[in-house]
Amino acid sequence: MKQLLYISAACSISPQHTYDAENFLRPVVTSDSSKLYSLDADYSKYISPVAIRRMSRILKQGITAGMKCLEDAGVKTPDAIIIGTARGSVTDMENFLKDMINMQEEALTPTGFIQSTYNSVNGWLAMLTKCTGYNQTFVHRGFSLELCLLDVQLLLAEATETKHILAGGFDELTEEYFTIRNKIGHYKDHPLDSFSLLSHYHTPGSIAGEGAHFFTLSNENKNAACAIYSVKMLQTPGSEELQSSIQGLLSENGLTNEDIDILVCGMNGDSRNHFLIDPLIAGCSGNTTIVTFKQLSGEYDTASGFGLWLTNYLFTHRQVPAELIYKQGASDKIKNILICNVTIANCVAVILVKSARP
Amino acid sequence: MEDLKRTLKQQIIDSLNLQGMKPEEIDDNAPLFGDGLGLDSIDSLELMVLLERNYGIKIEDAREGRKILTSVQTMAEYIQQHRKI
Repeated sequence: MKQLLYISAACSISPQHTYDAENFLRPVVTSDSSKLYSLDADYSKYISPVAIRRMSRILKQGITAGMKCLEDAGVKTPDAIIIGTARGSVTDMENFLKDMINMQEEALTPTGFIQSTYNSVNGWLAMLTKCTGYNQTFVHRGFSLELCLLDVQLLLAEATETKHILAGGFDELTEEYFTIRNKIGHYKDHPLDSFSLLSHYHTPGSIAGEGAHFFTLSNENKNAACAIYSVKMLQTPGSEELQSSIQGLLSENGLTNEDIDILVCGMNGDSRNHFLIDPLIAGCSGNTTIVTFKQLSGEYDTASGFGLWLTNYLFTHRQVPAELIYKQGASDKIKNILICNVTIANCVAVILVKSARP
Repeated sequence: MEDLKRTLKQQIIDSLNLQGMKPEEIDDNAPLFGDGLGLDSIDSLELMVLLERNYGIKIEDAREGRKILTSVQTMAEYIQQHRKI
């Protein structure tokens, strides 16, 4: 099946200045606490004061990013809303669970429970846009966003007319969540400047992050800068399996290594990913510029959303910011970009995005 | 009674997260739902939990609940008569 997903608009709320994309990397936001929290946006533009008082940060961020993404695409009511999240609203879940313990399961408030469900953001977006169409939430840890994209492909492949689908991913970082994952060795055990993450590649662990990334996807090219061609997921692959999967994906699309202008590499600075990342980078053609993003976003299950937002940014702005370059390649075109995201649990996602402009 | 109403208003502000609002800005007799504070059905559940947690009052009958939750005045009167804590 080959169903192109044209990215009509993209919006991201992240630890960097991505919501106002014109100020992206001005300046680069860093942290020395191993935690990168998203920057707040003006939530009141899309959410009423009555509703906003009950919402946790990630709900506000997910809804705002989704609404702005539709607004930028000129779409009032999408045909479907499909979202991926590994954890949903962690703050609301924590509040609800703490309440259960403190109140001995008596007299529990409804808000924490209602907002902690994984599909809260979907529901709010559907209500705000009056979308009564297909509404789906994928909760599959490191592949949540990728499965959402696959579902969009399936839905658009069945469409006989132009459809606009709001798709995206979000995940939240809290102090408790950080503490738990830190105990199982997901984060660096020494302090570091977040922007220097990749130079700490010889030690295990990464830095924690969060974000909400949304995309208005269509089966028709309406001023899109690029389109998603293929999405592939590999659960704990070996190095050779990853290499052969990438070659297979490229050849399915009539491409070779030399045709990849940019590799958007989701390496997370964890030494335990060496066996995948090193051959991946070594296997790149001399044409390919390698850019990295987890020093900007931090690591979390739907961090590939930052990579996809960044890819759309590169196609839109047609230049690669120097701060992102890991290795400069010979190609000065931006025609084919390969995203390769590797999570701490070694879930690997490969996404091929091609220019939609002649 | 005045002390109770002041405390109740602060509890309503805290439990419903009415940011930027002060107890003195809530009129004793203004309707809590609709035109007054503009609360909604989820808020009514929160208010029922508030009564149970802070005053040991459990509202079983929805019709009775609607009358009790009309305003701060009606809530305070009911609390004064039925509080267990």
